[in-house]
Amino acid sequence: MNKKNIFQDIRNKSYAYAFLLPMVIGMLIIHFVPIIIGIIISFLDLNQYTLSLYLKAPFVGLKNYYDVLFNPQSTLRIGLFQAVRNTVIYTICVICGCMGLGMIVALMLNENRSIVKLFRTLYLFPWIVPTYVTGLLWGFMWNHEIGVVNYLLTKVFKLFSEPPFWLIGPNTLFAIIIPTIWRYWPYYMLMLLAGLQTIPDELNEAATIDGASEWQKFWYITLPLLKPVWSILLLIGIISNVYSFNIVIMMFGHGAGFPGEWGDLLMTNIFRNSFNLWQFSKGAAASIILMIVMIGVVAMWYKIFGRNKW
Amino acid sequence: MNSTSHKVLVIFTLVLVAIISLFPIYWMIVNSLKTNQEILTGRNIFFVNTPRWRNYVDLWRNINFGLYLRNSFIVCSVTTFFAIILSTLAGYSLSRFKFLGKRVINDSILATQMVPGIVFLIPIYLMFVKFHQLTNIQLIGTFPGLIFVYSTFFVPFSVWILQGFFASIPVEIEEAALIDGCSRFMIFLKIAVPLARPGIVATAIYIFLTAWDELMFAWVLTKANTMTIPVGIRLFVGNYQNRYDLMMAAATVATLPILFAFFLMQKHIIRGLTAGAVKE
Repeated sequence: MNKKNIFQDIRNKSYAYAFLLPMVIGMLIIHFVPIIIGIIISFLDLNQYTLSLYLKAPFVGLKNYYDVLFNPQSTLRIGLFQAVRNTVIYTICVICGCMGLGMIVALMLNENRSIVKLFRTLYLFPWIVPTYVTGLLWGFMWNHEIGVVNYLLTKVFKLFSEPPFWLIGPNTLFAIIIPTIWRYWPYYMLMLLAGLQTIPDELNEAATIDGASEWQKFWYITLPLLKPVWSILLLIGIISNVYSFNIVIMMFGHGAGFPGEWGDLLMTNIFRNSFNLWQFSKGAAASIILMIVMIGVVAMWYKIFGRNKW
Repeated sequence: MNSTSHKVLVIFTLVLVAIISLFPIYWMIVNSLKTNQEILTGRNIFFVNTPRWRNYVDLWRNINFGLYLRNSFIVCSVTTFFAIILSTLAGYSLSRFKFLGKRVINDSILATQMVPGIVFLIPIYLMFVKFHQLTNIQLIGTFPGLIFVYSTFFVPFSVWILQGFFASIPVEIEEAALIDGCSRFMIFLKIAVPLARPGIVATAIYIFLTAWDELMFAWVLTKANTMTIPVGIRLFVGNYQNRYDLMMAAATVATLPILFAFFLMQKHIIRGLTAGAVKE
């Protein structure tokens, strides 16, 4: 019997299952059964009147899906489409911002290795601030009259004569994107820096001797070698930003209100419809659709970046 | 470009980014030490005139913030304890054994990360209601309910991190112990776990921080006496709309414990998080 077989014989497999059992039981109860129930609920009419009937609520087939996607009379649909637009812009901007800032700072730190430790610690502080605090704090900072942002813009730098409104109208998108970048970019920087530190200096030195410019070195050496890092960050970024909730919910109406047509994201929209307006079934239908779309997005990611680097 | 001026420019940029990045935290702490009047009139806004500790006293006396803080600590520590046991066992199993269904389990671990939390929330709420009807055990508004949900919820991502750590431990040590007659469980406990300790510590910190930051489930699954900090803050902010002084004091109290913990354990956290980026 060779070494590998010792590890693979039948008796050991029972250990494999035993070690997994607690997690599998938990996941069955907390993940899989709820998904099934969620799918069932999306075909029922579950609202505040039928809540006590639980899964015996009236069956309405695909009506919820129709209301969410196609019904021109449904108010839910308009709100949801605004939320989709905002979420797409928000996700793209946050990922670009985090990745760009993270990359620039990581490159700068990598050049000055003596100060890496100090600055890395300082930069990581915002990433430890809880997201609900981020929303609360920035909501206060964006405040029209007493917020520090308008104070800086009008009194210190004098860029505006009149203080702009940040939490009303299209500006709202900036007001939710910037705090999210502020909160998350250190993580991107940390990962990219760790990746940069594994690239051997010889590669860049050889390229310099061959007469490559800084830009060429970045484009043809650094970026391809960092692909395992930034592709994972891209995936994590897409998932976490599409499902972003805390920052927006705490910034507007102090956790209870409507963030406005330019600040509403998918999660806040679905949460409000489900729990404030008691439309559990429509909320479930919307989130199931979202889930399917996201599975498609992640499948696309796999197609492009492969799973070999996981 | 001249290399000295280049260096100065880079350092200058790094310092500027640090200042902008840290300013909101400074702003939060400064405003937590002002009276609301000072905040609203906006004179001398960047500094504290006379620190007003009274805000923190009010937070404890009038808003019962001590209770929220205590609840958050209980929920997060117990969650971390259970979640780390589940994910260490599962991560070890997935990295060491080959067995039927491994692919399915690995894929479902990833799949759970793609499902929006709200898909789980409504059914879990309804399941808990049903469970109460059937067994008379109340899970909504109690610690066990929330902890049970959290402990399982943070496991998939933790397993994913830990799997990598166990995979990086050479199998040969365990094989030697196996030949010497050690039982599988003892190998796991006495060899694999100690060797993977940096990874386990990092994962535990990750679980704690994620639980500390969780609002949506806590919102629906807690009641007055089991509220965690995010729910408590949300409630009190709704009641005290314009008390920015108290709001910032609450935000500070929610942030400082974990900021301090991060400062002490940053070495572990950074090593744990970046292990995936570094190993190839």
